[in-house]
Amino acid sequence: MAGHCGTRVMAAPLGQRVAGPARWVCSAAAAAAAARRPWRLFGAMCLLRLPRITQPLEKEEEEMMALMGQIELEKSHYSDHEIRKLEEEERLKRRKESLYDDDDEVTGRTVIMAQDLEDKWEQKFLRFKPAPRITDADKKNIRTSLNRKLDSNLMLLVKQKIGNQELWLLPQAEWQPGETLRSTAERAMATFLGDHIQAKILGNAPYGIYKYKFPRAIRTEDNVGAKVFFFKAFLQSTDFTQTELKADYLWVTKNELGDYLKPEYLKKVDRFLLDL
Amino acid sequence: MMAAVPKVLCWEKGAMLRQLFALSRVSTPTENHLCAAGAALLSCHRSYRSRPTHGIGRYKYLLPAETPKKKKDRVQMKEINPGTEFEYGDVNIQMTSYDMCLVEHFAQYVHRLCNRLSIKVKESYAMPTKTNEVLFLEEKGSKMQLDAILTTHQRVVQISGLSSTFAPILLEVIQSNQPEGVHLLIKQHTEADFKNRLKARPELEELLAQMG
Repeated sequence: MAGHCGTRVMAAPLGQRVAGPARWVCSAAAAAAAARRPWRLFGAMCLLRLPRITQPLEKEEEEMMALMGQIELEKSHYSDHEIRKLEEEERLKRRKESLYDDDDEVTGRTVIMAQDLEDKWEQKFLRFKPAPRITDADKKNIRTSLNRKLDSNLMLLVKQKIGNQELWLLPQAEWQPGETLRSTAERAMATFLGDHIQAKILGNAPYGIYKYKFPRAIRTEDNVGAKVFFFKAFLQSTDFTQTELKADYLWVTKNELGDYLKPEYLKKVDRFLLDL
Repeated sequence: MMAAVPKVLCWEKGAMLRQLFALSRVSTPTENHLCAAGAALLSCHRSYRSRPTHGIGRYKYLLPAETPKKKKDRVQMKEINPGTEFEYGDVNIQMTSYDMCLVEHFAQYVHRLCNRLSIKVKESYAMPTKTNEVLFLEEKGSKMQLDAILTTHQRVVQISGLSSTFAPILLEVIQSNQPEGVHLLIKQHTEADFKNRLKARPELEELLAQMG
């Protein structure tokens, strides 16, 4: 099988410190002329569910936030509501001191005072109950549900049969000649999760590569090993009836990957995972 | 050349004056001071211009010529959009929120991140604030009561020259750092976006409508 990238894969730019895509140069023209490389190509999809809530702040961050809040409060001007409240307080004070002095103020002008509004809002706020940050799935550590770990990225892991081993991997599919690697990855995702997945792939370039040689028993001239190209996609809709074709799947965070993936594979996958 | 000639003359004159001064010193001590002072005031060449360090602080002649600033409406600059297929043209990162401090800080963060990553930030501006009034309709009542006034703030950071291999990474970083309550929208810059910043001129439009 000739090893040539899809025509849309292009040279990576220099100097990224955030995540390092592997560098390679696409040579579509040279592919035909080059010797047939004995590597099998796979496209794997790293499907990420983005965090739904923010992570808890560190101590320094909280202190900073308090300080910035105070600075901003002191720098800011009064809002309309606050001005109104101050005026009304003054008026009340004046009315108490000089009993019923000015009549025109009493004529039903302020039916609702600013203070009453504030009390009403306060009550409304107390009635509001936010959803819990640590969900049931977290407590029971159900790794197959999407409701777990709402503040970090969750990744899909699938159990696949490679050779004669059942391994936990990112869903991958073999590359067929004539399609781009990105569509291979999309196909991999579709086979495991069904067609109606709303996932967004941001670019055409892969994020990482994992290369391995087959064990000597199966290695032949034409089939030295395999290269797996990783693509990243973001899950758009969080509730879908998970019609899983293969039963074994997991949604795990970056820290928990170590429990399931092989060390070499894990090293390559860790390189492009951004976990802030 | 021009500066050298008066210097020479000055020097000569200065030398002459000094000689005169030396001579006159012997003759009349009291008149000397007046003579010396008068000589300095009356001479056409000032002695410090002859010093070699004259004009040591001059630098304005070294600066590039400044074009006079014209108060004109900003004309659009549009880059070649994926004409190369590997680079995006002008991309707008629009951040909207109800909380002004939050959105400003986030816009600042995005701007600095782009600076750090050597992405050219073309413009960084604020869109006009939109004010919404939330009217609350009470049950068993027909009157709409004013519940709240919400102001929506929008900040835009315009970048250009984003390569297509780096764009997904940048997007992911910005997305992961998005604070609560801020909507993020990344789109390509169009003329409509540019027009949005300008105020509508109803009288001009009326006149145009009357004319054509």
